[in-house]
Formats: sequence, structure tokens, C-alpha cells
Amino acid sequence: MSNGGSNFDKARRNFLRGLGMGTAAVAARPAWGGETFQDAFADFFQKDYRRMSAEEIAAALERIERKAKSRYDVEIDCQNTPPQQGVVYGYAINISRCKGYRDCVHACVKENNLGRDSQMQYIRVLQLDQGDFDLEHSDHYYDPETVPVEGKHYLPVQCMQCDDPPCVKACPVEATWMEPDGIVVVDYDWCIGCRYCMAACPYWARHFNWTVPEIPAEEMNTNTHYLGNRPRPRGVVEKCTFCIHRTRKGQQPACMEACPTGSRIFGNLLDPDSEIRYVLANKQVFRLKEDLGTEPKFWYFSD
Amino acid sequence: MRMSRINIWALGSSMARLLSPTDKAGFRTAAASYLPLVTLLFCSALLPANAEESAEPSQALRFEGYPNAPTVSVVPRKDELFFYPCDQCHAAMEPNPEIRPLNAMHDSALEHGRGRIWCTSCHDLENRNFLTTLLNELVDIDEAYLVCGGCHANRHKDWSFGAHGKRVANWQGDRTLYSCPHCHNPHSPAIKPRAPKPAPPVRAGLRLELGIEHEKSAIWDSREEHEDQ
Repeated sequence: MSNGGSNFDKARRNFLRGLGMGTAAVAARPAWGGETFQDAFADFFQKDYRRMSAEEIAAALERIERKAKSRYDVEIDCQNTPPQQGVVYGYAINISRCKGYRDCVHACVKENNLGRDSQMQYIRVLQLDQGDFDLEHSDHYYDPETVPVEGKHYLPVQCMQCDDPPCVKACPVEATWMEPDGIVVVDYDWCIGCRYCMAACPYWARHFNWTVPEIPAEEMNTNTHYLGNRPRPRGVVEKCTFCIHRTRKGQQPACMEACPTGSRIFGNLLDPDSEIRYVLANKQVFRLKEDLGTEPKFWYFSD
Repeated sequence: MRMSRINIWALGSSMARLLSPTDKAGFRTAAASYLPLVTLLFCSALLPANAEESAEPSQALRFEGYPNAPTVSVVPRKDELFFYPCDQCHAAMEPNPEIRPLNAMHDSALEHGRGRIWCTSCHDLENRNFLTTLLNELVDIDEAYLVCGGCHANRHKDWSFGAHGKRVANWQGDRTLYSCPHCHNPHSPAIKPRAPKPAPPVRAGLRLELGIEHEKSAIWDSREEHEDQ
């Protein structure tokens, strides 16, 4: 009796020890990737960004920061800076001044924490024959000794932040929408990665994230935004947000700041004294694929 | 509007000629017709006397801008200039307005203007640390955009409204602009070709084949035909 009892106790102890070790192992290296169980649980039940309360958003931001800490070993600052009142962003590019240096592309990769080994870039600079505007036969892999190449001109394309965005209409789960300041954003935690929006976009502005972004810890941009450049999960569709974490604080988008030619002009479309309004009023501007009626807030001009 | 020294001297010498005793008869005959002009000259000769005393860099010419132009501040550039102040050498040198190939120190070739302009078109001959406009107004080196705007008026207007040039850091709030010489070397203003940053990687599973002549839509051919006609 007493023997059997001690056997039972031993078995029970072993079982409990095993359980304990099991949970210890889970805490040290969980199967779902460097989060605590509570975080993973809360992530799973996280709501759409637009339906979260202020407390829920704050908790989500803290989880994003913890996740970045465990995945990249970097202390990031993730915010959800709200849109400014009376501001709608517009962008214009002077194609007679763009020389195809691609400084904007690489500044964007760095600023938006894009994976260095993935093939994703939000901006493509197209090289076209002079006098030609055949986008389908443009070359974005050009790599000569020096640019500009004689007889060519350059056309940077990125998200046009359409005012009537077809990508938003295509999304079956409402994970993407247009903010009051005109920026089309994606809730990367709500996106299911179906890529319908990519098919709907006429500008090749949306890109699918095939891998977890590989970012060296020292190159991580720690100034992040929930809807913008925070480290994204794998398997979602990403896009340019006009550097939402910068522009909502009055800073220029990274591509504009990086451009050495000053081809890029950004500003508030509702402010009649802004640079963008001067360009729209005084230059011969055009938009790409204007006939599709998506009302892009992205203009091109030459002078 | 302020008068420059060159104007002052021109006016001063004409005053002297008009009032000189050797030319008295001529002066008397023309006195009636010249009187208003002489008065004007005399007044304008008084004005620059004051201006001359205060011809310091801080007092350099101010451009009030275009109607409705936004207020901008401009990034200074003096600290970047290796030779500035020019007086360091030129104080000891006699001003030489003769157009000639320069030796040492300065680039011998002036690409700007393709031979139509010369050092003293922009640099003041007497006040070596200053620039000069087409109206012979003294301009501080940090306000070089005033000199550029003398010829490149369209660009200058675009620049002051934000359609040309580069704004610093922000899109909202105070505007700070880079001045023309930050990007354009004033002596060779065309932007030189440069190596591009690396090309994007080719999508996994795809192969990059350059130099393929793709079939083009007929619409582009019709455009060329149209041009020929």
C-alpha cells in the first residue's frame, strides 16, 4: 500500500516535473517565435485597427515593440500618430530633373525597415526612351556606369495614394483603407495576404512580403508607426505610406529628403500656399493612367 | 533702392564735370535744362554717402521676393568655401578687369555662360568678398541666389515658391531652402552624371535578360510617323 502510494507519488512527481520542464522550455523558446503566451494570445484576438479602443491600440503597440525586441534585439518606438486636421498629402515629381540615381529607393528601404534580402522595394525608377512613355517596355533594372544615360529619361513610380483606391475596394477583409489625410494604409496584423489588392492596383504599388524582413539590428529604424514602417509579419501585402511616421509630424518623406536633385515636391493639397499647390497651378502636370479614374494624388511634370 | 559704389562714382564724376570751372560756359548754357537733373544727382549723391559707411555684410542687399511668395530662409554656405574670404589674397592684389585666362587657384575654364560672362559679371571687382548683380548692387556670398536670379529669373521664381530646388527637412512650418550653389557649381552649373545606386534584385524564379527588343504597340510607331509629317 505504502509502496504503491510512493510509486504513484513518484509518477506524479515525474509527470509534474516533466510538465514544469515543458513550460520552462516553452518560456525559453516558444514554437510561435519569441513571444510570451499572453502576447501570442492577444495577437490572435487583436481586432482591426479601426475597431480597437485607445487602450487596445496602446497594448498592440507595446506588443509590436516587444516582438521587435525579441526578433531583432532592437528597442523600437512604435506610435500611432493621428492624421493632422486640414491636411491631405500630395506629391509631385519633376521628371525633367530626375536623373535616375535611385537614392530615393535605397533611402526608402532603410527608412521603412524593408527586408534587405527580400526583393521588395516600394519605389521603382523606370528608364524610358526620350520622347517615349511606353510604361510596359520601360526598364527598371538599368545599371549603367553613370546616369543619366543619353537619350533616356527616368520616371520614379510608387504608391500614388489614389483618392478612389481600387485596392481598398478589392480587400475582402477591410484590412486597407484611406486615412483622412489621404494616405492609403494597411493594417498589417489584419491582412490575410490574399493579394487581391495587388491585382487591383494599376500602379504596381503593392508588394507581397514573402519572408520575415531581414534587417540588421544597427540599421533598424526605431521611429515607427503602426500603419507604416514597423517590422511587418511575413505573408502580408505592404505599400508606401508617404512615410506616415514622418509626414504626420511635419517631416518630409524619406525619398524626398534623399533626392539630391530636388525633383520631389511634397505638401498639403489643402494649403493654397504650399509648394505642391504652386506646382499644380503653374506647371504642366499629368498623372499616370489618369483614364482609369482612380484619382491618384501623385503628379508628374517637366519644365 | 540702394546705390552701389560704382554708381556713386559715376554720379560723382559727372557732377564734378558739370560743376568744374573749365566747363563753366557749357554749364551755364545748359543750366536751365540740367537744373532738375543736377538736383536729382546731388540728392542721389548724398544718399550713397550714408550707404557707403554701412556697406557691411549684414547690410547687404535684401530681396523682397515675388508677390505672395512665402518667407524662406536660406542655408548659408560661407563655411564650405575653401578660399573665402577672397580678401585674404585679393586685398594685396591690384583689381584687373581685363578678360584673360586665370592661372593657379581658380579654374581656368569658366563653363558657365559659354564665354558670354566673365568673373566680374558676378564677383564685384572692388569689394572682393561680395558678389554683384547686373544693376551693380553688392550681394553677400550667402545670398548668391540674388545674383543667379538676375539671369535665371524663371528658375529663381520657381525656387522661391518651392517648385525648383530643395527644401530642408520638413514640409510643414518654416521653409529653409538650399541656395543655388549648393547643387550647381556656379562656375560649371550643369549637374554631372553620377553612378546610380544598385539595381533592384530580380524576383526569385525569374531571369533578367537585358537588351531584348520587345514588340511595341503600334501606337508608338504612329506617333513617329506623325512627327515625320
